[in-house]
Amino acid sequence: MAIAIGVDVGSLCTKTVILDGGNNVLAYDIMRSGHYYKGAAEESIDNVLKTAGLRKEDIGYILGTGYGRGAVSSADGQVTEITCHARGATRLFPGVHTVIDIGGQDSKVIGIGDNARVTNFVMNDKCAAGTGRFLEVMALALSVDIGEMGDLFFASDKKVEVSSMCTVFAESEVISLFAQGHKKADIAAGIADSIARRIVGMVGQVGLKEEVIMSGGVAKNAGVAHAIGERIGAKLLIADEPQIVGALGAAIIASERI
Amino acid sequence: MEKVLTEIAEVTADPYGYVAGLKERKEKKVIGCFPMHIPDEIIHAADLIPVVIWRGNEPVTWGHAHVPPYDCGITRSFVDDAVRGKLGFMDGMVFHVRQCLQAGEFPFIMERHVKPSYQKVLYLPALYPGDVMRDFTITELEGFKTSLEEFTGKKISDDNLNKSIEIYNKNRSLLERVYEIRREKPEILKAREVMQIVWSSMFMLKEDHNKLLTELIKGMEAKTVEPEKDKIRVIPVGCLCQTLQFDILDLIEDLGMIIPDDDLYIGSRYFANQVNLDGSPLGALADRYLTRTPVCPTKGVWQVHWGDEAIKKMRDNDARGIISIIVKYCPPHACYYPDFKSKMEQEGINAIMIEMEHEIITLEAIKTRLQSFVEIIGGV
Repeated sequence: MAIAIGVDVGSLCTKTVILDGGNNVLAYDIMRSGHYYKGAAEESIDNVLKTAGLRKEDIGYILGTGYGRGAVSSADGQVTEITCHARGATRLFPGVHTVIDIGGQDSKVIGIGDNARVTNFVMNDKCAAGTGRFLEVMALALSVDIGEMGDLFFASDKKVEVSSMCTVFAESEVISLFAQGHKKADIAAGIADSIARRIVGMVGQVGLKEEVIMSGGVAKNAGVAHAIGERIGAKLLIADEPQIVGALGAAIIASERI
Repeated sequence: MEKVLTEIAEVTADPYGYVAGLKERKEKKVIGCFPMHIPDEIIHAADLIPVVIWRGNEPVTWGHAHVPPYDCGITRSFVDDAVRGKLGFMDGMVFHVRQCLQAGEFPFIMERHVKPSYQKVLYLPALYPGDVMRDFTITELEGFKTSLEEFTGKKISDDNLNKSIEIYNKNRSLLERVYEIRREKPEILKAREVMQIVWSSMFMLKEDHNKLLTELIKGMEAKTVEPEKDKIRVIPVGCLCQTLQFDILDLIEDLGMIIPDDDLYIGSRYFANQVNLDGSPLGALADRYLTRTPVCPTKGVWQVHWGDEAIKKMRDNDARGIISIIVKYCPPHACYYPDFKSKMEQEGINAIMIEMEHEIITLEAIKTRLQSFVEIIGGV
């Protein structure tokens, strides 16, 4: 069968996309990865199959990607999330040349050539500062729901500087900013800008080439996306569901292997 | 062949124990030489045991009281080993302090806290154009020789020095032969085995090492291997002064790459260039140091581009990519790398940089980066 599945097992969420023979998205799924990646991957595959009204026997190829790509036990192959994000991004926005992907615990900037292939990339390799996990900790420190953080950014009229890159130190800094009487919205804007500053450095290493897409769960935070766009001086393209870009890329590669 | 490889693996698993045992067996004093440029033939000719100082295998503890955390792995690890008394078998130490900023710290720390019976500081020059640096280098080496004579109470004759150089040249030829066979059949040895072979040469007596290499080469020449044509050939470059974490080499191979040759310090750089025995031995040792290739950023060589050398090595070996391995907080390599990277970009070479640190090694992240590199080369 020409049904292809891409499974992106991230540190926080597992995302799965299923494509038909014409590379149309039949269904997708996003769920928490939890502590048992193998189980999450298989459950997510079951979910898309159910939504698409298909059975396991209908699948032509499953490709694993993401941090837990080796944990997709039913996968026929695995490819890194860097390659998959590039492929998914160019499918969504054919003119894209730069991907900014910020996931649960890593962030990367990927340069893409005219042939939709990766030319170069940088990724954080030691510290989870400025990632989804960082935002979760900051939301807790601000006592707001993670979903509200993006909107809070736009309520700010005097952004304060959050200088720490380290998640733990930034949390302490947020608490002391509260103690100094700063408003939640201004601190939220400062947090978004601290992520943006980090990303600017990574974009500089790869070289900014438009168009630019932002993918990953953090792209759903409008405040962070706005701050990054302002810092790099380019409009960011964001898919309707930015979390599935890697899984979509994996599914496209899977379909090529059938 | 397997017997030799096992012996070498055992020796490199515990260099401390091996050198301490060697000292006892030979009843000779041990002199530690900080990598990468000390001409240890002179120490050998003084009837002492020269060993190239290595990066330890434990996290840095007391050493942090003496060197900052932004010094490189071998600096911190060596100081840590020294102040904890792990290097008690080392009777003397030699440092080339112009090599990098951190090397300049050693003599003071060792003098104050370790007090070896013998310590020598060398100032080998950067390779500026002109002849003046040759005279300067020879003068430095004469001073080094004299200090060893004073330490042992014995003269080092030119004959002794020539004999030592001959033994060292033999070792270099044998290592070159190992590499030659590896270039013909890269599947014959794992990358970690090749590194162990070169590393063991740095602290075994060269006479002993030569015997092992002779036996190993016989085995390598006789062995046939199945070519793995689907493997992607790559050339690792750099990792100055210290051993590369073996896990990284394993990872490179596990991801479908194969290393037919390298440009690593504990690799082809160590045995590059023979010492010419035609003239004065000290002049010949100076000439080897003053050779501009392989390009070393600690010598300030700009007339030949390291990137060009690496690309040539890549093309000569039908390799498809270059993996730069930079030791975190290595100022000479870090200063050179932007030029190296620009050269790779100008020439359209598939290249990636991996940074390694003494204590922290985030293998999963390195794996993702290397796997992406393979995918870029493979056109996924």
